Amino acid sequence: MTENEMTSNDSTEPTPTTETAASSPDPSGDPLIEQSIDVEGTDATAGETGKPVIESSDLNVFYGETQALQSIDLAIPEKQVTAMIGPSGCGKSTFLRCINRMNDLIDAARVEGDLYFEGKNVYDADVDPVALRRRIGMVFQHPNPFPKSIYDNVAYGLRIQDQTENIDEKVETALKRAALWDEVKDQLDKSALDLSGGQQQRLCIARAIAVDPDVILMDEPASALDPIATSKIEDLIEELAEEFTVVIVTHNMQQAARISDKTAVFLTGGELVEFDDTDKIFENPDSQRVEDYITGKFG
Amino acid sequence: MATREPETGWHGENSDVNHLRGRAFEATCLAATAFGLVSVMLLLLFVANDAFRPFSADAGWLATYAATVVVPLAALAVYYYRLDEPAGEVAYVTSGLPVVGLLLTGGFAVLFIELLSVLEWFALLISLVVAGGLIVAHGRLRPKAALERLAVVLLAPIITVFGLPPTRFNWFVTDAAAALGLDFGLYYRVISLREAILMLPFVPTDWVMLLLTLVLPIAGAAGWFVEQRRESRRDGLTVVGLTTAVAVLGVVAGPLLGIGTDVWLLIVTFAVLPLGVYVEGVLRRGEGVRGLAFPVVAVLGVVVGGVVTGALGFAGPDPWLDWGFLTSATSRTAADAGIYPAMVGSVMMIIVIVLTTFPVGVGAAIYLEEYAPSQGLMGKFVTLIEINIGNLAGVPSVVYGLLGLALFIRVLQWPQGSIIVAGLAVGLLILPIVIISAQEAIRSVPDSFRQASYGMGATRWQTIRQVVLPEALPGILTGTILALGRAIGETAPLLMIGAAASVRLAPNSFFDVASMMPRQIFSWSSELDPSFRHGVLAAGVITLLAVLLVMNATAIVIRNRYQRTG
Ligand SMILES: Nc1ncnc2c1ncn2[C@@H]1O[C@H](COP(=O)(O)OP(=O)(O)OP(=O)(O)O)[C@@H](O)[C@H]1O
Ligand SMILES: [Mg+2]
Repeated sequence: MTENEMTSNDSTEPTPTTETAASSPDPSGDPLIEQSIDVEGTDATAGETGKPVIESSDLNVFYGETQALQSIDLAIPEKQVTAMIGPSGCGKSTFLRCINRMNDLIDAARVEGDLYFEGKNVYDADVDPVALRRRIGMVFQHPNPFPKSIYDNVAYGLRIQDQTENIDEKVETALKRAALWDEVKDQLDKSALDLSGGQQQRLCIARAIAVDPDVILMDEPASALDPIATSKIEDLIEELAEEFTVVIVTHNMQQAARISDKTAVFLTGGELVEFDDTDKIFENPDSQRVEDYITGKFG
Repeated sequence: MATREPETGWHGENSDVNHLRGRAFEATCLAATAFGLVSVMLLLLFVANDAFRPFSADAGWLATYAATVVVPLAALAVYYYRLDEPAGEVAYVTSGLPVVGLLLTGGFAVLFIELLSVLEWFALLISLVVAGGLIVAHGRLRPKAALERLAVVLLAPIITVFGLPPTRFNWFVTDAAAALGLDFGLYYRVISLREAILMLPFVPTDWVMLLLTLVLPIAGAAGWFVEQRRESRRDGLTVVGLTTAVAVLGVVAGPLLGIGTDVWLLIVTFAVLPLGVYVEGVLRRGEGVRGLAFPVVAVLGVVVGGVVTGALGFAGPDPWLDWGFLTSATSRTAADAGIYPAMVGSVMMIIVIVLTTFPVGVGAAIYLEEYAPSQGLMGKFVTLIEINIGNLAGVPSVVYGLLGLALFIRVLQWPQGSIIVAGLAVGLLILPIVIISAQEAIRSVPDSFRQASYGMGATRWQTIRQVVLPEALPGILTGTILALGRAIGETAPLLMIGAAASVRLAPNSFFDVASMMPRQIFSWSSELDPSFRHGVLAAGVITLLAVLLVMNATAIVIRNRYQRTG
């Protein structure tokens, strides 16, 4: 985490973590402005366990007739890494998509219950999903860069959100943080589809963080990466957690144990079995089923 | 080394593995393919023979040209194919580029002769450029005002091209001007920039206007392209400078050679410029240089053949399809008959179809694919609509002709057999095809692109504009061009709406009564004189097929160019 210190205008400066304006739900708040206000404010509460920024209560999701999530109650703390683990098909991606309302795009999906982001129920009628998604970035399970140049991919979000000042710098910073800059700096005009799968995934991460969202949802961001790139991404995630709230789905137990502060364990059928501090989950889980899953007796 | 003996006979064909049925099936499929291809080829050869009548030439003539053109070119082709593939590609492009360029030249020449004067073209283009400038300027000044922008985008071209209808305000201005003795005869409306240019007392000569509006922009684009490719400003400027120089030279020298200056300028822009840029590139890269021999040999062969046949007094063939056929109107005598007015009619009809069907069809496809609900009652309704669009694509073309007759001629009272009516009737006919193929193209854009875009916080409009449409455009264009190919050959609707059986003068307004190629061909087919039915008809069919071929080739080129992504 050294390159980003060169850019001084954005929020990647290593300022002490502070409690942000997120506590008072201020939908118009621009992350940049919030950050600069906070610096002047108090930093007394730094390091304290974040208060919940995303809270779900009795959240049920149905695909047609089948229920994919069963009454999920979960509170994701601010500026920490929350991991979601569980066997394939247990609804991790579904829960992630609930947070930024990507389920709206699936015709068959129906969401019941409440999910609060900064105190506002995102399923209220007056919430514009577009505004929500501008604050909650997402990296998908399969790399999905646009069939455009590498540069245009990273610049896409900046352009559609009208953040076109210093766009070259922002693109460069994002690519550096995603550990991709050295590989592509000479070929920013090349089509993103000509990159390898792992490079594409890092490009998608760069694309998501370029716009400085408040929350980043990552659906198995490291599944297509080699160990070196994976560890770079893990470093990135830990670094991101200083300023952003990160929610990550992973099938890799060690990864979850390494990088996350909190862990949610989903089990087949779409129920949330246990949600607690990561150390607790991995060392001394309450539920026998969680212990079985983690130790590999059940999958 | 000891050869191994297999212990069991598992490896060969035996009762377990039987290829017989498969082979028989393969042979049947091959036979069906061959039968279809051969019969179509035979038919085409037959028609082409009627149109060109190669065997009406002296044997000596045929032999001479075979020796000077056919044999050398065939030998070269074999050489390229066997030994030098890059040269073959170069040969292909250097022969194809001039042909396409000359076709474009012909198209523009027809445009300037029949539809627009050069001055009108100049005025129209300047107005459009000014409108474009206004739109860009507005985008720069007020990037956030979306509604305002929509108004500017819609209104700027309308005002610069058509002006504004009468309003109180204009009355006032016109009356005030008249009271001051300045009577412009503005009919109480705001005149457009286009009309203002047309009214100018002094206008530049035609060639200057063409140079400004056609040669320089295209040369500039080519120069920019070269500059990008080679990263050399000088090369780009050279392209622009040379093109302009050659163009101006032709304006001076053209009259001496008997070529009109306008035609010369068109040839320079559409044929000489692309060929020059390409040949220069080939020479510089030094790859496939031998391919350049192909067009040279072709031209030399034709010249030498002409000299030899002239010297020895061999008579050439007397084809039905010749320059005279393409440039003259139909006539009572088969020998003088031509297809020119019908060709202009077809081109103008295609213009109407493109301008109406393309926006409507693509708009409908975008709505159905990206906006229309797919669930609930409305979803059912949308499905019903989609099924019916599919059905409409299968409705016989006579029915569309009947629709055109009833709607445009009986109800709207537009002139019977006019180009606008023909274009709209045939446009309705291909509308379902355009919608369906555009839907297909839009559907083939992977959903993951849309998700990525929405996930970044893009609105639906931004997603469509920036991600879906750029990806779908090649497919949409291909589908539309193929549909246009269908449109240009349609006959039944033209009969129903009363397109003229034959006209002597090419139409010069969209409300003129005109004939179109298929309609003209159809009326030749019922002439009593057999040379109409065999010769002229065949020539017309070949012309129509050539136009179709060019359109389909364009579609294929577009498709291949963009196929890589996906
Ligand atoms: N678009 C959809 N339509 C219908 N059912 C779906 C859809 N997406 C997911 N499901 C169902 O919902 C359940 C949960 O799926 P989800 O993708 O959330 O699982 P996951 O935990 O992310 O699995 P994995 O680890 O394999 O990615 C699965 O049973 C799946 O079949
Ligand atoms: Mg998943």
